[in-house]
Amino acid sequence: MASLADMSAFDLAGVIARGEASAEDAVRASLGRIAAGDGAVRAFIETFPDRALDAARAVDARRARGEAAGPLAGVPVAVKDNLCLEWGRTTCASRMLEHYRSPYTATAVRRLIDAGAVVVGKTNLDEFAMGSSTERSAFFATRNPRDPGRVPGGSSGGSAAAVAAGMTPAALGSDTGGSVRQPASMCGVVGFKPTYGRVSRYGLVAFASSLDQVGPLTRDVRDAAVVTAAMAGRDPCDATSADAPAAGWAERLDEPPAGLRLGVPREVRSPQNHPAVNFAFERAVMKFRDAGAEIVEIDLPHLRHGIAAYYIVALAEASSNLGRYDGIRYGRRAELRPGEGLAELYARSRAEGFGPEVRRRILLGTHVLSSGYYDAYYLTALKVRRLIKGDFDRALGPRSADGRAGGCHAVLMPTTPGPAWKFGEKSADPLAMYLEDVYTVTANLAGIPAISVPMGEAEEEGSRLPLGLQILGPAFEDLRVLRIARMWEHLRG
Amino acid sequence: MAQAIQHVALKVGLEIHVELATRSKVFAPAPSPAHAAAGDPEPNTLIDPVVLGLPGALPVINRRAIDLSILVGLALNCSIAPFTKWDRKSYTYPDLPKAYQISQYDLPLCFDGSVELPRRPAPGHDAPPPPLRVGIIRAHLEEDAGKLLHERPGGGALDHSIADFNRAGTALLEIVTAPDFADAEDVVAFAQWLRNICVFLGVTEGVMQKGHIRFEPNINCILTLAGGRTAATPVVEVKNLNSFKSLRGAIEHELAEQPRRFLEDGLVMGPGAKTTRGWDDSAGRTFLQREKEDAHDYRYFPDPDLPPVVVDAAWVERLRAALPELPHARAERYRRDYGLGEKEAAALTEDRALNDFYEACTDAVAAALPGASGGALAREQAGRLAANAVLQSGFKRANERQVPVPHLGISPAQVGAIAAMREAGEISAAAMDELFGLCCTPEHAGADPRALARGRSMVQVRDEGALLAWVDQAIANQPRSADDVRAGKTAALGRLVGEVMKLSGGKADGAAVRAALMRQLGVGG
Repeated sequence: MASLADMSAFDLAGVIARGEASAEDAVRASLGRIAAGDGAVRAFIETFPDRALDAARAVDARRARGEAAGPLAGVPVAVKDNLCLEWGRTTCASRMLEHYRSPYTATAVRRLIDAGAVVVGKTNLDEFAMGSSTERSAFFATRNPRDPGRVPGGSSGGSAAAVAAGMTPAALGSDTGGSVRQPASMCGVVGFKPTYGRVSRYGLVAFASSLDQVGPLTRDVRDAAVVTAAMAGRDPCDATSADAPAAGWAERLDEPPAGLRLGVPREVRSPQNHPAVNFAFERAVMKFRDAGAEIVEIDLPHLRHGIAAYYIVALAEASSNLGRYDGIRYGRRAELRPGEGLAELYARSRAEGFGPEVRRRILLGTHVLSSGYYDAYYLTALKVRRLIKGDFDRALGPRSADGRAGGCHAVLMPTTPGPAWKFGEKSADPLAMYLEDVYTVTANLAGIPAISVPMGEAEEEGSRLPLGLQILGPAFEDLRVLRIARMWEHLRG
Repeated sequence: MAQAIQHVALKVGLEIHVELATRSKVFAPAPSPAHAAAGDPEPNTLIDPVVLGLPGALPVINRRAIDLSILVGLALNCSIAPFTKWDRKSYTYPDLPKAYQISQYDLPLCFDGSVELPRRPAPGHDAPPPPLRVGIIRAHLEEDAGKLLHERPGGGALDHSIADFNRAGTALLEIVTAPDFADAEDVVAFAQWLRNICVFLGVTEGVMQKGHIRFEPNINCILTLAGGRTAATPVVEVKNLNSFKSLRGAIEHELAEQPRRFLEDGLVMGPGAKTTRGWDDSAGRTFLQREKEDAHDYRYFPDPDLPPVVVDAAWVERLRAALPELPHARAERYRRDYGLGEKEAAALTEDRALNDFYEACTDAVAAALPGASGGALAREQAGRLAANAVLQSGFKRANERQVPVPHLGISPAQVGAIAAMREAGEISAAAMDELFGLCCTPEHAGADPRALARGRSMVQVRDEGALLAWVDQAIANQPRSADDVRAGKTAALGRLVGEVMKLSGGKADGAAVRAALMRQLGVGG
């Protein structure tokens, strides 16, 4: 038997359910990897070794009593530190919430625990999930396990690094504009953003409410399906959650998609991409074609406006969502000097609590919602958002009369224009960093499911840097996207 | 600048905030302080992660709050929006947990209504003036904020402020009228009428002292200056008035002050000129809170946490069918069908629970009347008898015990039986009231009033001989009263009736006594 720490979540749960290994052993193996490796990687903000072992022993006791063990029985998982847990701290990697303790647990995490999973720790992120490199954490940067001189991507960089380094088979991230898929791509793991509404956002600290979605980072597609299915479904605490059953995904994952028709947008075959990205992407397209899939060139004419629309919508919502951090009820509160009052309390608490990127985004978001600018920015961005959704609807909707356009089961894209970059390389230029999100933000704007699976590597300065293939499908066809990704895993070999 | 003001015309529009009596809050599961079940809670006990705006918490609409809002909208003859949404209104204050209030900006749930209030004739006039017509611009649903306290609960200085979030997230219906009011009297009449409607609909407890209903008048004056030129003074919005007295006071104060301010500063209505003022109840004057109120940027945008609400015709019709007959319609019916006076009809319709009790009593009396056929005549009689019982015996005990009439303990069926006995002449007026009182005591809960009356020899004596003996005795006891009656002073008859009742131990029938006395004294009936 392979080391428990190297097994997939699916296999591990099976081994534990059959009594071939204990949940305690599985959690010990995970904690051992963290103890050995996290000093260098720094994926975790906080770990709960004692609590995790207690939880594992409770899983073992339930199994010993003959109770149903759950699809994730004894599986160690890591949770991005913007998901609330009623123990430990929920910091969002921000000085603002450095000591914040949540009185409740996020629905997505609660459902994983109910399925038998054991939370071993909270992972690092860009502060409030605002960033693409995890360098914007207020506490420390996380290193890419594939090259310690490079970023793991972000904002779910800690979760991607934990899975890539074999510390846990699965981790939760949140994806607002690519924050699960982009670090998955850069760390060489699988990252899935489900359809908006598939997983409850209750207890996910909001960045941009109409774009945020909780998603898994795993080492293979089946684990992405198993973890998502365990979290999915309507939650009475989230009015935007959908009543869409996700049972039996793991069992139906290997059914081959019949008569597969895949769309490749002209716009993503760009000289702006790293040459290795273009090479690996064409090779992936060819392999699908060789496997019998019909490949059609499609147009996503509004893709190029995605970044602009995304940053307006996301920052507008963020500026509003982060207004609550005022130093009054919880979070960082500035010490006042004699003669200072409420205005100083607000200003200084927020200036001390928020890092420069968060402050920049609050300022931009406040500006685009201001009277006199609202129509020009926010309303225009909403129009572009509808146009982008229309682009996908045409590609993924019914086939046109002449049979040439539409009717695609999924759309293929690179996840990122290039591989992981070196620390500090893009920090001075926020706009360059924003542009890295060009292929990921559209799935959030359209609310559709999208997965990143390893597609190849780029060689740079002696490092072999992972690249991701992105597969996007229509809303609530999450299982279809997972099946095509599973097919790719087999094709890639 | 000295300008002579020749005429001042008042112009007022009213915003009314009604706290809806939903069990939980409008977007959170925490109990609402506006519901009767909340009682008198300790500070910061009606809270949860959503109310406090904790990280990760999300709002979910309480559909009952939409129901209650639509009921008010229908009563105000509003259109109900088939599609409505929630918007974030951003501002920063320590009592506002999320730094935005969830409200409705451009698509209010109810809009374009109007109501007509009948007006009473002025003293010395017979004909009432034309009814007061008030346009309703909109009524939208939003969440209330918490409360900041600057002294200790129960008094005592503090060097800081403390926050109580019990009220935060309470369902609040904001009703906005057109600026249709030209004097304070009309504003107050409308405000009282509206409160009554809302209480009657059961959408609010309507306790003014608890701030269940708060008023914010927008006040300005149209001044006619020398030479016929007119000028409109800047609009003043007076915030958070929670009594009819302060509402009237604030308007009257502004009516006096605005022309004076105009003479001082010459400011007229226009962009940036609107101010917000508070009301100092002890000084009886308004004070400046904020200038340039209309220039504040609330950065409204649709709340992405809440899907829009589609209100289909079936939803509205279900509520329209549940709409009770409103108080003014009921009062009108009591006057028309039962012949009640205006004051009596008003008293019976100012509270939903009392009115329900009165209606149930009327039904019970109608059923208990001998030979009850359910005809209009029996109904009229029943309505009057029940009104007498509720307004006299009922109100008397409600005042004594400080308990609302419906909770005195007497059942409508008992009221019905008592009134029927009285109508048949079986008991006296005094016995009727005494029986009413007995039925309010716990030991006689549900007792048969007829058995109670018999057991206490309260059933009236109809023996003509005994009656005449008491009458003669009464005339002998009170010769001066008898002379007065003979001289045409019929008011003195009451004293003789009272004497007979005393002699009979309350068992004589008042109407028969009166007739016998008049016969014996030789005066016409």
